[in-house]
Amino acid sequence: MECITKTEGDFSVIYLAGEIDLYCSADARMEILAQLSESRPVIVDLSRVEYIDSSGIASLVEGLQMAKKNKLAFSLAAVSEAAMQVIKLARLDKVFTIHPTVNDATKN
Amino acid sequence: MTLVTQLELIKPTDLPAPPQAALQIIRACAREEVTSSEISDIAETNPALTAELLRVANSPLYGISREVTSISNAVAVLGLRALRNLVLCISIHDAINKEAIPGFDAEVFWEDSLRRAIVARQLAALVKQDADECFTAGLLQDFGLLILFYLHPEQTGEWKKLRCLSPSERLQQEQAIFSVTHTEIGKKLTDFWELPESLGIAIGGHHAHIYSDSKQGPLSAILQAADWINSVFITNNPSQALSAAVSRTTQVIGIDEQQVKDICEALPAFVTDAAISLGLKIDRQVEFEQVMRDANVRLAEENTSYQELTWRLEKTLRERDALAAALNNELELAREIQASLLPLDNNDTPVHGVNVSAKELSGDFYDFFKLDDGRVMFNLGDVSGKGMHAALLMAKTSSLFRCLGKKNHSPAELLKTINREICETSIRGMFVTMVAGIYNPEDGTVVLVNAGNPPPVLFNPKATEKKIRLLAADTPPLGIVPDMDYDEISINLQQGHLYIYSDGITEGYTPNDEELGVMGLVSLIANLDNMPVQKRLDTIIQHLSQSSKGQRDDMTLLILE
Repeated sequence: MECITKTEGDFSVIYLAGEIDLYCSADARMEILAQLSESRPVIVDLSRVEYIDSSGIASLVEGLQMAKKNKLAFSLAAVSEAAMQVIKLARLDKVFTIHPTVNDATKN
Repeated sequence: MTLVTQLELIKPTDLPAPPQAALQIIRACAREEVTSSEISDIAETNPALTAELLRVANSPLYGISREVTSISNAVAVLGLRALRNLVLCISIHDAINKEAIPGFDAEVFWEDSLRRAIVARQLAALVKQDADECFTAGLLQDFGLLILFYLHPEQTGEWKKLRCLSPSERLQQEQAIFSVTHTEIGKKLTDFWELPESLGIAIGGHHAHIYSDSKQGPLSAILQAADWINSVFITNNPSQALSAAVSRTTQVIGIDEQQVKDICEALPAFVTDAAISLGLKIDRQVEFEQVMRDANVRLAEENTSYQELTWRLEKTLRERDALAAALNNELELAREIQASLLPLDNNDTPVHGVNVSAKELSGDFYDFFKLDDGRVMFNLGDVSGKGMHAALLMAKTSSLFRCLGKKNHSPAELLKTINREICETSIRGMFVTMVAGIYNPEDGTVVLVNAGNPPPVLFNPKATEKKIRLLAADTPPLGIVPDMDYDEISINLQQGHLYIYSDGITEGYTPNDEELGVMGLVSLIANLDNMPVQKRLDTIIQHLSQSSKGQRDDMTLLILE
């Protein structure tokens, strides 16, 4: 798994890539929470995610819950087909705000 | 650090040298026709040398009963060779005195030299060589080292380290530090000062491995043996040095271990006496027995600390094993408790399930129980993640279902209540996908809710229209959105079967290492549908247990007949 954070205006954009499973989802979780704890709105780019399991999804859910609590924006962007399949299957597309691109996410 | 010291560039004229009178006496002694008055005349030109010669000649070193009063007298009593050797010892020692090399502990150097000289004299007696000659050569064999430090006084700090090494290691280090060794410089200076040829050969060759040259002969071998025996008294590891000294001495001059030990035992007393005779200032000599005793004590201490380390390691390993065993016991117990949360499969209820965990504990679960009216409440759930934390939430969710489900028979309301409960205590974004419902075997009706779970497969081969129906989730998993309303799906099994499963099944690998997928499961179901239900469960799990990629996730499957 790769986890790189870049700044786009006020947003922290976290780029996750590769396989996000039980063994590495903790790293993604730490990064998401770290950005939120600095009161930055977060966009998670999932364009290069090849596989995500339920522990990876749980990291995103935790990010979403923390963002709501702290009244910060939290969205997913450019979700890869593999990740979208998992998200849609569990109807989490009803839970997350999903944008086609990071650029769109920064505008909304 | 390497200093490039080229032997040919070292100019003996720039170095300290014995006084001219001493060199003249040494050269004169080599002539057979020389007279004692001739020697006496030379000596008179250097009163200090003369006085020192007479003092040492009268010392216990020579054991002469009547007093030697003049140089002529000394020639007569000691003989030319002994006098020459005496001049050599005194003059070279005086030439390179402790003031010549600032910061260098010359006294320690001469103490080592004296020890070598005495060992060489003892060895000479054993192998029938000239004792006086060997004593002198032993005293002077390493004086080249003094010259090295004279040339490079900035390296005097290395002396302490060099001194404790074995003779062969010391020579290698000298080569590494100075690019030249004490044997090469010593030989060069003895030649330049025209000292006896045999001395030059012995100094130059006392570190050689094989003494094939007859000229090099026994003197070099004796000096080499003396060097190794001396190292027993100055090294950090006397036991090892003694073994090395015995081995080397046996090899080069053929004396045995006991003879080496005898020399070592007698050595401290001889050194003390000779130091007084020659006017050398040395530290109190430690008895050989004490040297070895100290070494044994050190060895015992090292052994003790080694044993203590071993003991501690063993203790830590035992503790680790005990902890691992305790943890395994706990896991085993947790596994048993978890298994007890799954319903007993009996033919009384037309619902059958299987659960295979990927780790010791499962995050998946299923349950079913019969109500008084004959209907059956059932569910299948999958907690995000795997292992212990997932198992704990699994226990909580399945307990909530079993407890609340006995009173609330509406799947939608039941899940709404369970969802609220889980959301209240949810941590780390954990959630639970669940299919829960109520089945009436009498008329085949099933009312269920799918909260974020993969779609159950309704397979009815006898149906006229849709033989296969996928019941996709319309709501997200439990534990994410607190006030969630769930929609119920009503179906009728008719004569078909309903397959409910966790994503571990559809994400599982086939024997060809390919992900099964929903469609793969559907075709597997279609092929197996004629089998008895237990056989179907087993065959599907078996199909997903043969991949070389192993099991990715917990696998749970429930079949409603």
